[in-house]
Amino acid sequence: MASDAVWWKVAWRNLLRNRARTLITASGLAFGYLAAVVLVGLMDGMMAELIENGTRLMMGQVQVHSPEYRPERNMHHTVGGYDGVDLEALLARIESDPDVTAAAPRLYGGGLLSSGEETRAGLLFGIDVDREQRVGTLLSQLSEGRLPEAGQYEILVGLEMARQLGLEVGAEVVVVVGASDGSMGNDLFTLVGVFETGTPAIDANYAVLPLPDLQYLMAMDPGRVHEIALTVTRARDTPLIASSLAANLEGSDYAVEVTPWTELRPELAEMLGLMDAVNYFIAAIIFAMAIFGVANTMLIGTFERRREFAVVRALGTSPMGVGRTVVYEGVILGTISLIAGALITWPIVVWWHNSPPDLTSLIGGFSMVGSQWRPILRIEYSYDTPVICAVALFLTAVFAAVYPAWKATRVPPADALADR
Amino acid sequence: MDRVSRSRLLRVSLTTAAALLLSAAAAAPLTAQTAREIIDKVDRMMRGESSHGRMTVDITTEHWSRSLDMEVWSLGAEHSLVRVESPAREAGTATLFAGDEVWNYLPRVDRTIKVPPALMMGSWMGSHLTNDDIVKESRIVDDYDFEISFEGEVDGVEVYEFTMTPRPEAPVVWGRVEEQVRKHDLMPTWVRYYDDEGTLVRTMTFSDYKMMSGRLVPAVFHIIPADKPEEKTSMTYHELEFDIDLDESFFSLRTLRARR
Amino acid sequence: MRFRVLLKLALRSVGRNARRSALTAAAMVIGLALLIFSRSLSEGAHEQWVTSAVRMGTGHVAIQAPDYLESGKLEHRIGVKAYPRALDAVEAVAGDRVVAHAPRLTVNGLASSASSALPVRVEGVDPDRERIFSDLDEKVVDGRYLQSDDRLHAYVGVELARRLGLKVGTRFVLTAQSASGDVEGQLVRVAGIFKSAVPEMDAGLIHIPLETAREWLGTPGAVTTYAVLLTSSRDTGGVVEELHDRLSGDDLRVLGWRDTSPELDAALRMDDYGDYVFHAILFAIVALAIMNAVMMSVLGRRREFGVLQALGLTGAQTGWVVFGEGLFLTAASGVVGMGLGFLFTWGFFRDGIDFSGLVENESAWASAGGIVDPVIVPTFHSSQVLLSLYFMLIIGTLASIYPAMRASKLDVAEAMKFDQ
Repeated sequence: MASDAVWWKVAWRNLLRNRARTLITASGLAFGYLAAVVLVGLMDGMMAELIENGTRLMMGQVQVHSPEYRPERNMHHTVGGYDGVDLEALLARIESDPDVTAAAPRLYGGGLLSSGEETRAGLLFGIDVDREQRVGTLLSQLSEGRLPEAGQYEILVGLEMARQLGLEVGAEVVVVVGASDGSMGNDLFTLVGVFETGTPAIDANYAVLPLPDLQYLMAMDPGRVHEIALTVTRARDTPLIASSLAANLEGSDYAVEVTPWTELRPELAEMLGLMDAVNYFIAAIIFAMAIFGVANTMLIGTFERRREFAVVRALGTSPMGVGRTVVYEGVILGTISLIAGALITWPIVVWWHNSPPDLTSLIGGFSMVGSQWRPILRIEYSYDTPVICAVALFLTAVFAAVYPAWKATRVPPADALADR
Repeated sequence: MDRVSRSRLLRVSLTTAAALLLSAAAAAPLTAQTAREIIDKVDRMMRGESSHGRMTVDITTEHWSRSLDMEVWSLGAEHSLVRVESPAREAGTATLFAGDEVWNYLPRVDRTIKVPPALMMGSWMGSHLTNDDIVKESRIVDDYDFEISFEGEVDGVEVYEFTMTPRPEAPVVWGRVEEQVRKHDLMPTWVRYYDDEGTLVRTMTFSDYKMMSGRLVPAVFHIIPADKPEEKTSMTYHELEFDIDLDESFFSLRTLRARR
Repeated sequence: MRFRVLLKLALRSVGRNARRSALTAAAMVIGLALLIFSRSLSEGAHEQWVTSAVRMGTGHVAIQAPDYLESGKLEHRIGVKAYPRALDAVEAVAGDRVVAHAPRLTVNGLASSASSALPVRVEGVDPDRERIFSDLDEKVVDGRYLQSDDRLHAYVGVELARRLGLKVGTRFVLTAQSASGDVEGQLVRVAGIFKSAVPEMDAGLIHIPLETAREWLGTPGAVTTYAVLLTSSRDTGGVVEELHDRLSGDDLRVLGWRDTSPELDAALRMDDYGDYVFHAILFAIVALAIMNAVMMSVLGRRREFGVLQALGLTGAQTGWVVFGEGLFLTAASGVVGMGLGFLFTWGFFRDGIDFSGLVENESAWASAGGIVDPVIVPTFHSSQVLLSLYFMLIIGTLASIYPAMRASKLDVAEAMKFDQ
């Protein structure tokens, strides 16, 4: 074992002796590591961002309904049936799931909005103003005015709807909605704000009012809602989280249906899945290039040392001894470089995760397949990627060094010294 | 949307009733007339005819049931006005049909609203009538071929049964419509609507024939969707008068807005 | 004279150490090949997405009346006078660049059956042209797509058919506001039922023959959009400009797909941005691999440089020899790398890469059933290929400067010492 320590020492000295070579190789490894980790993190971040972009405006990542509600969306099929539910208790129960970050109750009504001579059909969207802001971004997209207060007959409409109705903030608008008793709820509301999502279907058709107001207008009890929309901790795992939530909610005195966004918008799921697959393919190419770069550098480095190995051999060192030195050099170099790499990578990843560059000013916000997009590219934390990258690069470095060294020891020292 | 549909419901009941009542009144001695001639006569007579009455509409659906008392005026197929009298919550709500336009008056907010054209055909959840009904009433002769499919005794009463088949390109959703009429007084007993495959979709039945303002009319009719037999819309006339002094100027926004 | 000798020396130097040259060149060759492959894959994916989207929408180029894009109303249509001009212009620019062009008369209305009534978007189409233009005809699940002699036929979405209780052959009625402002009904029968997997289309889109739509809506000879599908989305700008020149006048407007589908435009710009980041990382890794390879090899060549100077070359001349060697390697690698990139991309993937197997959420994939073709055919874009090549050449050249500088400033006596 004493002799082993000697070989470690020789390896260390070799590294120090040829600083330039060590530095080049180490920088290659460290940068390769940085690139690989940042790349995969960006990939995951982009996917999470795409999912959130696709779900954040109104859909949420999971929705809870009465089993009969979808797809007809008959207004009578509220959660828990005609009697409704103890809303606070249900919300508390849903939010007790550790994977659920927020939940918001909603009620939908089909109706008419009218101002002066103009009348338009609209979709009335009854929301809990506080909770809705935690689940969706609709309420944060006011281009004018403020949020409505419950009990004050206040309402928001989309920009296009306001334009078609010739409405200004502060104006009165007549709201007519089909109520649950077959009658026609109607009342006078004050427009307190206008939202602009950039999604034409929403800006032209939606009117937002506090849940209790819409419930009253539709002759429904305060416990009656059509939908509870949720956001979850890990957007990527939504289907799993939805099924575990469904299991948790079982055994209530009413049945519910828990649907992840992938089922609500299969075409969006498909599109994102495909983008994801293509991106990963490109990531694999980039990673392969990083591996190749490291291997190539190590190969050249070791080949250039053939003379040196020959001399050492000529001085009586066994081929095994030469091999060991090279392996130990690789191990030391790999360890140091990867530690250095991790030290550079870590702050970059943390910074990029916490304050991702917002590109809105560069490419503008936009909507796609009916969902709102925010052009932000952030890095998602991953626990296995840094380890996998480290192991892959480490093994690459060691093997790429050992192979030419092993070949070098096969060559008779005299030939090698003659540069043949 | 609800508003439109209810308006339509009322309008349909009104025009259907008028058409059928008139057919009964007009065609007492039925000689060797073809089915087409009978219906054509009814159709022509219906136009320009005015009426005024009071009725109760009872609607039962899977989800709710309600009863409305209303006062109705009509002039031909193009004009009608309906005003709700009770329940109190909706009293004063009124609907005006003038040609293609539909206007609503909402007493609670004291506003009139013109229903957007695109929504005039809007569907109403739980409705027992479709938009086609309105079109059909004014264009029944254009859209259907008629034949007497049965003539004889049913339950001790001599009846005709007409089968109306939509013409090849008529914009009609029904596959065929059948109607039974009592021979002796030409009072209708039922109308059945079938889809394209011959499945019964809904049935309208008539009953409680009585004299109103000197005419024999069925004072009650029911509309029952075939796939939901527990659902029903019933209309009961309490008063009905004909050929009253009404012209088109009555069917105006001013009348619509006028509270009683 | 001198120059020739130097060149000869440089070339010999490349050939003399074939392995080192090969390894250095390998970094450049593989780097360039991967750049070309991955760029053309991204290009191919984008082209694919644009094509899928515009085939479902109004093509790469759309001709409309000036206000139609904003209002979507029948009153803003291309009338019977302007239509032949639009058609002539399209016929005139058609050629290799145009795959198909198709007239559309679109209106929002209501579809009623014996059992129900639902809001729909009705498109009057020329069945023969539309069959080439869109792939909606391939999504048929029952019956068939429209044919040229059809009149009262309709092609409806599967969810709409379900809700209205429609089967192949069933009659139903379309109602919409006609050109005169009256509400008109039109009888049609179901010819075929499609499943596109886009919820909005499956629950709300109906195709009927163009002539039937014109008759129904009282708009003889009119269309709302004349859609043009191009071979490549790259030609969009050119075709828009040509059509614009031909259609000078204020009654027609020529729009590119970026105008008609801003959502798609924005989504692609976002994905583009992701691509730029990934390729920036790839470029960086390639650059690092090349630099590392060149630096590594220069370390082992001090003795060699020393020999050259000992034989009478000046420092500057030695530098030029080394620089020439680098340039030669770079140029050769550029050619080989490009060839390899094309060969690899075209040779293995000319039929496209099927990404459906790589999509993570398989259930979503299955339920959506492929709105977007998962087979992506890499597309070469000459400017992209040249960009990659220039980049590689610049990196290669820059990387050759360093060893040349070192060679020119060499201390001969020191270098001729036995190794370090």
